[in-house]
Amino acid sequence: MSASSDSIELYADDPEWADIEPVRQYENPNPLAPIFYTEEYRDATDYFRGVVKKGDMSPRVLDLTEKIIRLNPAHYSAWQYRYKVLLALKSPLDLELRLMDELAVKFLKTYQVWHHRRLLISHPQLSSSKSSSFYLTAELRFIAKCLVVDSKNYHTWSYRQWLLSNFFSGGERGKEEEEVWKKEMEWIEQMIEEDVRNNSVWHHRFFVVFQSGIRVGDEDREVVRRREIDFAKDKISLAPSNPSAWNYLRGVLDNNNLPYSDLSIFVRPYAQARSPDAEADEVIDLENPSPSKGAQLPCVPAIEFLADVYESGKSRDDIEKAAQLWKSLANEYDTIRKKYWEYRIKEALEVLPA
Amino acid sequence: MSQGEALPPLARGGHTLHCTRCVAGLPSSQTEIDSSRLALAFYCLGSLDLLDTLNAKISDADRESWKEWIWEQQAHGKYGTGFKPSSYMTPEDASVNDEYSENDTPHLIMTYTGMLSLAILRDNFDKLDRPGIIKFLRSCQRSDGSFSSIPDSTESDLRLVYCAFAISTFLDDWSGVDIAKSVTFIKRCRTYEGGYGQEPCAEAQGRDCHLFVFLHEMLTVLGGTTYCALAALHLAPSLPNDPLPLTPRERHQTVRWLIQNQDDSGGFRGRTGKDADACYCFWCGASLQILGVPDVLDPIALAAFLARCQFKYGGIAKAPGEHPGQDFVDTSLEPSADPFSPDPYHTYLSLAALSIHPPHTSDTTWKLDALDPLLNARSATAAWAREKIPAQ
Ligand SMILES: [Zn+2]
Repeated sequence: MSASSDSIELYADDPEWADIEPVRQYENPNPLAPIFYTEEYRDATDYFRGVVKKGDMSPRVLDLTEKIIRLNPAHYSAWQYRYKVLLALKSPLDLELRLMDELAVKFLKTYQVWHHRRLLISHPQLSSSKSSSFYLTAELRFIAKCLVVDSKNYHTWSYRQWLLSNFFSGGERGKEEEEVWKKEMEWIEQMIEEDVRNNSVWHHRFFVVFQSGIRVGDEDREVVRRREIDFAKDKISLAPSNPSAWNYLRGVLDNNNLPYSDLSIFVRPYAQARSPDAEADEVIDLENPSPSKGAQLPCVPAIEFLADVYESGKSRDDIEKAAQLWKSLANEYDTIRKKYWEYRIKEALEVLPA
Repeated sequence: MSQGEALPPLARGGHTLHCTRCVAGLPSSQTEIDSSRLALAFYCLGSLDLLDTLNAKISDADRESWKEWIWEQQAHGKYGTGFKPSSYMTPEDASVNDEYSENDTPHLIMTYTGMLSLAILRDNFDKLDRPGIIKFLRSCQRSDGSFSSIPDSTESDLRLVYCAFAISTFLDDWSGVDIAKSVTFIKRCRTYEGGYGQEPCAEAQGRDCHLFVFLHEMLTVLGGTTYCALAALHLAPSLPNDPLPLTPRERHQTVRWLIQNQDDSGGFRGRTGKDADACYCFWCGASLQILGVPDVLDPIALAAFLARCQFKYGGIAKAPGEHPGQDFVDTSLEPSADPFSPDPYHTYLSLAALSIHPPHTSDTTWKLDALDPLLNARSATAAWAREKIPAQ
């Protein structure tokens, strides 16, 4: 063994593994992008190939696969084999979940960590057990904790949505489901409170409100639509140039086939420069909150929105007003998208009769 | 002087060097690449193809042995035939005729990148097991229309639908996929913003760059999911009762969302409110091309952003940064050292973006051959694949 091995423990030196014949990796003499493995990794994978060849499903394989996963969390064969061994040994999967708590945070962006978690929680040993509610709500809490570390992590969010739609949407958990969804909305409000620009949370809200069934108390969809529009308006007033809130507002309107023109009164103050005497004639209108003090006006999403309102009017006069707004975006407020705004003008004018 | 004249040169020599160094070998800090080496190889070969340095800088002997290595990854067995990421699970004494084991199955993304890599190397594909590949596609399709990366896995999402559709296009044979089911799946992934998420209801577009290994992006994302959705919808033969890939209203909304992602730096971001990233210059730029509106973006700003992502010793990083003198293949690189080091994935996708959206400049270093936006390959390579891969 080379000198580097004094600090690392090799399977080759471990009598417990003496019955496994290590299997070296095949490699072509002139391969593409060969990896210069560490001795530790080479040793572990030699034994892993040996284990696979022998079909060994003993408890020690859990240690071996854990070691490989820690060295290379993307090693999907090790994950796959580990899961088979867990099932073969009838291992307590809740313990495996606790190990995953540590690995998930460590390898937050590795797909396999989340995939393995889905397999575990879906297994009847956990999801159909008497304590399934305990396990499932613990998952929701765990995800919330992960999102403190990385609030926009894609895997984490999609895992949460998968959990909610797979285990809390069928109605078989009755009152408990209601409670979970109620808490979900409160948690979303709090997350948006913390960072109004976190698009992932907005997305999650859309999922909860519109894409995952209808909650008790939300049966009147008209009320829900109004509530969501008001919510978006309120958040826009706090940070008028926040695209996440505007996209959400558009999403609610599009999804329900509501005309943008319903929002003209609200949008107008955001699409123009603040007039010096604005403070004086400001009337508090709860339905149409005005831009927060100090917000930079006009803001791009509002100009764009108002132009869309005009464009939907379809008369020559309307289209010309829309074109004026697009021009202001192209030449002054959003010059990076100059070519796009010019394209919008061209498209809109083309449909007008000559 | 036009703005294009202010661009620094595209460091073609440096980028070639970066890719040839990666192909020659990777340090142990990149061990995670093990289970996706064929994808990495594709990004290296694709870069050399776009830079047109594959023939000049690589010997005939090397190109031949690379082909041989890629063919070694083609494996057959109970789920059909496909390509494995590498020989990382292959025993030393294995013989080519062995069937793969349950723990060393081919992978759908590797099958796509393997076939494309062979087309880059101008292979004649007489070793391709066509019926086996069709069988493999069937084994990977799930009841909801999506595809899994390996048979019987629950890992399934939009990028895998794209790979299956690209492979069917290469073969000019769609008998391995239920197109209508997949199209339904893709449409379910559409989000309220106008992009597409990995799976139904997920947030639009891909994920972020991992700190030091771009692998997570390369593999778990295969880039923008919106690109994967749009390219797949446009590759699919049109269905009798669903002639348009997108309704005019959807198209309008998606164009808006894509162009919103170009930020003031000139680069594109992958999700609303995130920072610009070189790879999204391709995922969004190619999507706009697919939707027939390539001219709505600003190519000079795009090139200026990518110019700043260039690493001084070659290669392109995900974002402009300090690049403190270390790159991806530097063996001294500690895993968490530099989130902005260059890698073949961002290098290839930046070049691909530039070949779709070339900046107007008299500097010829920026001139690249055209790219097939649906198959994500240099046009000549895509044409080769379409000609040589189908059964003759
Ligand atoms: Zn990237």
